[in-house]
Amino acid sequence: MDYRSKMHFYGRIFTVLGIFVMFLIPVVTWIVTGIGPDFTRVATGVLALSIIFLPGGIVEVLTYGPILGTSGTYLAFITGNLVNLKIPCVMNAREIAKTQINTEENEVISTIAVASSTVTTILIMGLGVLMLLPLKPILESELLKPAFNWVISALFGALAYKYFKGHIKYTIAPMVVVIVLSIFIPDFVQANVVIVILIAAIIAIVFARLIYNKEMKKGEVQ
Amino acid sequence: MDIQTLKEAWWLYLIGVLVSLFIIGGALFFAKKAYIRSKELKMGKEMIKKTVISSVSFSILPSIGIFIGVITMAGLLGIPLPWVRLSVLGALHYELLAVKIATDGITVLSLNIEDFVTIAFVMTIAIIWGALFTLFFFKKYQSKVIDKVDTSNKKSFANLLFQSVFIGLVSAFFGDAFSKIFSYDIKEIQNGLYTGNEIEGSTFVPIIVFVSAFIFMAAFDYLIQKKKMTWLENIQLSLSMVMAMTLAVLLGIGGIY
Repeated sequence: MDYRSKMHFYGRIFTVLGIFVMFLIPVVTWIVTGIGPDFTRVATGVLALSIIFLPGGIVEVLTYGPILGTSGTYLAFITGNLVNLKIPCVMNAREIAKTQINTEENEVISTIAVASSTVTTILIMGLGVLMLLPLKPILESELLKPAFNWVISALFGALAYKYFKGHIKYTIAPMVVVIVLSIFIPDFVQANVVIVILIAAIIAIVFARLIYNKEMKKGEVQ
Repeated sequence: MDIQTLKEAWWLYLIGVLVSLFIIGGALFFAKKAYIRSKELKMGKEMIKKTVISSVSFSILPSIGIFIGVITMAGLLGIPLPWVRLSVLGALHYELLAVKIATDGITVLSLNIEDFVTIAFVMTIAIIWGALFTLFFFKKYQSKVIDKVDTSNKKSFANLLFQSVFIGLVSAFFGDAFSKIFSYDIKEIQNGLYTGNEIEGSTFVPIIVFVSAFIFMAAFDYLIQKKKMTWLENIQLSLSMVMAMTLAVLLGIGGIY
């Protein structure tokens, strides 16, 4: 079995175990207390949320799978916090390591990036739970609130430099579209980031293709 | 057993510890496999070290943000359930929405054990789709679609294709920050639950944070490229984030939120 097939094998086992682990709290609570869930509310709740999160979940695998690589994808889709942590973390790591997507080197780098990020998050959460009493007033203080409110903007602002640098002509079209969407339907943009990512990515790809074709043609003529 | 005892029960904390160990174990397992592979591919140790350092330093601030999510939900659900939920396939906005949908009208005072179990099931089941899709279809998707894209030729469109996906992703988050200039409704959260009240407003702070992080990155890049301060390379992103977030705090002190 080659490396990638092995990673699919282990990744699938990890995913099944991960799903099992996710159910520990509700199932164990049910067993210990003898009180089960309200099945009608579970069904309606799952249905309502799935309308929003099922397409999002599939789009995320399709979009982020190539970026995360084989084991990175299995690991990230069990540990979560994809768009706000794992994806930018991998983007940052591959920029530093200068690896190309769909190569074995990139597979290694993205796996190590997702794993390092995962361990960091779990340790910080564990530490936070242990030190909850002294930490709570600090983290909830009005003074620090703006910092953590806008951590995602800080993260993507910093990443934007890496991705826009040297690619300005490819950023114009998606940026114009998101600016127009933001002006006219700001609430939609904020509530549907996954959809906006998809729209912006498709526009970026289409315009990149047009620019690429034009440059190829120019090259042929010259 | 009453609900207050239940949501802070020792065995729920034990599950939290087990889940954390499972995740760390899985991460280390895959990292070790990748490391062995890196040796076979003759990738330098230095590159792996750089990846670990940059990923760890990069993840600290967002992880603190995720932990604040645990505190946000702790009022209603106690510590262990949000802790586990945000450790395995979780995201704060999803969890809050799940609580809202599963328990409409319930408050911290009226919450009972049945509500708690119901919330836990809804939170767990409805987020599972991405993992299930990965389990059943990712291998096929990779061989039928991703592998067809050849990135080995640097002049091919394939590299530009993935670059464009990243540009789209970053643009979307620019839009998220920029749109708040025009409308930003803060959903009130009390005791870990959306109250249904919304404060309508707008704010310039996220776009200032976004643009300043961009500028700080550019400045660090200048120091790395022109002044040869290469030691900054692994931490330039984290530093830019810290500086932009500090700016948000300073704006807050000045009364700008």
